[in-house]
Amino acid sequence: MKIEIATVLENKLIASNIWKMKMTAPGIAEQYKGAGQFIQILVQSSWDNPLRRPMSIAAVDDDQIVIIYKVFGRMTQILTEQEAGQELDILGPLGNTFKWGDNEYTPVLVGGGVGLAPILNMYGECTSAGQDAVLVIGARTGAEHFIDHEPQNNVFLATDDGTVGIAGTVIPAIAISLKNTGKPEILACGPEPMLKAVQEFAAAHEIPAQLSVESYMGCGIGICQGCVVERVNGNVSEHSYHEKYSLVCIDGPVYQSAEVIIG
Amino acid sequence: MADLRIKIGSVDFNNPIFVASGTYGYGTEVSELADIKDLGAIVTKSITRYPREGNPPPRIVETPSGMLNSIGLANIGVEAYIKEMIPLYEELATPIIMNIAGSTMAEYCEILELVESVSSNIIGYEINISCPNVKAGGMEFGVDCDLTEQLTAQLRNCTERLLIMKLSPNVTDITSIGVAAEQGGADALSAINTLVGMSIDTESQKSNIHYGYGGLSGPAIKPIGLACVHKVYQAVNIPLIGIGGIISGRDVLEYVLAGAVAVQVGTANYRDPGIGNSIIIELDTLLDKNNMISIPDLVGIVQLGS
Repeated sequence: MKIEIATVLENKLIASNIWKMKMTAPGIAEQYKGAGQFIQILVQSSWDNPLRRPMSIAAVDDDQIVIIYKVFGRMTQILTEQEAGQELDILGPLGNTFKWGDNEYTPVLVGGGVGLAPILNMYGECTSAGQDAVLVIGARTGAEHFIDHEPQNNVFLATDDGTVGIAGTVIPAIAISLKNTGKPEILACGPEPMLKAVQEFAAAHEIPAQLSVESYMGCGIGICQGCVVERVNGNVSEHSYHEKYSLVCIDGPVYQSAEVIIG
Repeated sequence: MADLRIKIGSVDFNNPIFVASGTYGYGTEVSELADIKDLGAIVTKSITRYPREGNPPPRIVETPSGMLNSIGLANIGVEAYIKEMIPLYEELATPIIMNIAGSTMAEYCEILELVESVSSNIIGYEINISCPNVKAGGMEFGVDCDLTEQLTAQLRNCTERLLIMKLSPNVTDITSIGVAAEQGGADALSAINTLVGMSIDTESQKSNIHYGYGGLSGPAIKPIGLACVHKVYQAVNIPLIGIGGIISGRDVLEYVLAGAVAVQVGTANYRDPGIGNSIIIELDTLLDKNNMISIPDLVGIVQLGS
């Protein structure tokens, strides 16, 4: 991990409220291990907002890093104002990665909202490795989608309002996508309600699953101890450390679905 | 080059920039991101008698120019600390100040005695009598003069090493607590710990911190830290270590002028673990520019009036 001054190459709106930023960060790109990892961006230099913001990596290409982010607050709004040529102070690469590569399973990649980036990254990894994969992306409405609904190519879109793809949450879309999938393993990232639904679905259908969880984050490097997630069967004996609560920034953000309690 | 060296009790430090408890782990974790050898000292996160999981999430939230935390003293406990961390300090050039938290007087003493019973290059202890986030965090000591004096005296009997009592701003009169710690035999005082605060999500109508309240830190609390240091400085004769919202060399100088001989950088480490290194350089440049030769000459010389 390192702190690096990245140069923005491109920052553009790709769907309603969803932006894609490409930047040069050779040091971090060199240390990058795979989909699931994230960076901590110092969005602005003022101390009005002292903390960095965690952003999942959507792709790494040579010395370039791509993020895809949804605008939902003042900091992400400020991020949209970054122009090509401007510099951005980033820390990374942080966290662990999705684990895959076992040919026995077909990755079913499920993303929604702020959790699109690592899922698209994972899809890219599968594609370039010649691994068949299923992609399921959820959104509230069709305007938030920036890829096409192509069930024939195993790309399934879902919208809450039914304007594009399969109507409803990602769950019915996952169910449909599984019809032609051999032995699936779900890899998911998205808002908490989505992850919880995916977790329940995977458990009910006895499908192995990995979840990349979201957490409010302070430092991103294990120092502040702020970003914990509760472990299932965590040792809650009177005296323990790091058994009941796991640090999302260094133990995660990717966990086996059965390992953590969502929400 | 200004002379940044300072002395607290009988201990010499290369410079007055320390990093605050809870913002630098056990001391060695961030060596990839900072030149930790150049820091004046590292204060470890609070160590308790037994391991602690800490509080349920959410534990932190950003607030205007600051943040709230309610970590709940998550730590490995003193026995693992002795086994796993103390040996690492042999390789470290930076002075380590171990921070200790307890729930009873006996517990504080037991922790200190356990550490004193092994060989270590820990340079001193900072005693957390002011954690606002857990019942076991010693807060009952930090708000009571008699208990502060008794605890300090008992710990004084257990160690020859530097003994620093960390004061809470969540009291009616921080000065009287500082005086009590001095009477108990403390070598120095550090001030301030975090202030109790709250933040609410208006959409969900939920507190942004699991247990409702958290400790406020960051630039937002700097004026409070300065006032506390200035008040205590006038009442005690032992050195003060200023804490609260330090992000620059100028902030350090403010604390020194208010009465601190050293400072601890806290929340800013979460943004940049190497910020202590930058602050050392800034302070040096600032002193040179103003023809200020050494820190001790500047301590507490702030002028009041017009």
